[in-house]
Amino acid sequence: MKKALRSTTIADRTLCIVLIIVSCAAMFYSREALSQGTDVVIEVSGKAVYTTSLDTNREIPVEGTQGRAIVEIRDGKVRMKEARCDNHICLKQGWITQGTIVCLPNSIVIITGSGSKKDVDAITG
Amino acid sequence: MKKTSVLVLTFLILAAIVSCSIQKDSVYKKSMPLMDTIVSITVVSDSKEIAEKAMEEAFGKIDSFGYLINFYSEKSELSEINRNAGIRKTRVSPETLDVIEKAVLASEKSLGAFDPSIGPIVKLWDFADKKMPSEKEVTHALPLVNYRDIIIDRNASTVLLSKKGMMLDLGAIAKGYAADMAVDSLIKKGIQSGLVSIAGDIRTFGLKPDKKPWTIGIKNPRQTGTKDEIIAMARLTDKAISTSGDYERYFITAGRRYHHILDPKTGFPAETCRSVSIVTDKAVDSDAFSTAIFVLGPDKGMKLAKDLGMGALIIDSNGNMHTTDSLKEKLSFEKGS
Repeated sequence: MKKALRSTTIADRTLCIVLIIVSCAAMFYSREALSQGTDVVIEVSGKAVYTTSLDTNREIPVEGTQGRAIVEIRDGKVRMKEARCDNHICLKQGWITQGTIVCLPNSIVIITGSGSKKDVDAITG
Repeated sequence: MKKTSVLVLTFLILAAIVSCSIQKDSVYKKSMPLMDTIVSITVVSDSKEIAEKAMEEAFGKIDSFGYLINFYSEKSELSEINRNAGIRKTRVSPETLDVIEKAVLASEKSLGAFDPSIGPIVKLWDFADKKMPSEKEVTHALPLVNYRDIIIDRNASTVLLSKKGMMLDLGAIAKGYAADMAVDSLIKKGIQSGLVSIAGDIRTFGLKPDKKPWTIGIKNPRQTGTKDEIIAMARLTDKAISTSGDYERYFITAGRRYHHILDPKTGFPAETCRSVSIVTDKAVDSDAFSTAIFVLGPDKGMKLAKDLGMGALIIDSNGNMHTTDSLKEKLSFEKGS
């Protein structure tokens, strides 16, 4: 150990310390960065099953508790296109760019725009 | 000298590594679809396991309570009370009895601007299908709306609606009550800080890991895009906040907005506010009084909020903001609002 230390220069030791500090800092900063949220999160029974962007037009089949539902993303908006539920409240809600669409019978929740207000812990209203 | 330097450097490296590995408080958040809406629970804990167990139990409490007071489920205790209206007393669980008692208390304090017996009027409106009742239908149902006709026997744990056809709807108080229940449950499980949000009825407790209060965004009632969603932000700890707005469930016919906050005295939507945010200690109160004060309007509503020591932000039908002094110091307004 002593030999190893003697064979290092001050520059080596400084570099070593800098690397350790940067690694530790990165651990915290990466955690912060990852929690910023993304454009669309689709949850089934409280668990996120899809996380995607509003930028790409696509249809996403989602297995709800009462069968398959289709979530559609188009032109920066998202909607529930098809769902096997009685009341179809989720379908009636139509396109949204921000907020949530809930299909209670299927336990499906679509959340969009959740990362846009990173300085807010919750929204009332 | 060199040896000392090496020792100091080694100590610093070890200190850096240890400080990185110390268990720190983290924020855990989970959402579930319950009570016909999204319920979000956020907790601060140094243990993921403790946080998840506490949240799971709190969700369970909300779910059980939601079944008891569901206006649209025939199996709920609330529906049983409504079916027995004018016929017999209904024996109910302590939670159902308690929330009905609190609802009647809010009715008394607001002189009927909040009234849980508004069920017969609520049944006439369908905001999803844009259906409104006729004047005749409303006039026929209005005599059934009167909180004084709710007879509660605490000792026997029974509720009786004295007129046949009466119906309780606890939609304007139950979510706040459930948020309080969830917070009590989290605290019992050892959580010292967090928030419970049920469709905009929010109860906060403790501070965030950075020792700052929780920041709650208040929705802009006339949002035009993604940038103006929030009109103001409230910094709260150990407080509850609820907002009632004319933008939540509504339809527009012939240029007129018909929304879900109905005046128990007219049977039609209250028209003098766009949104009302109320800050109190308990969410059961912020929930009920955000509706009551919305119905009362800016002048009478602001007076009631001050008389009851509540914080209020009222945005009237012209977009003017009225704020109680007690809330001003907790609020910051977004640019352009």
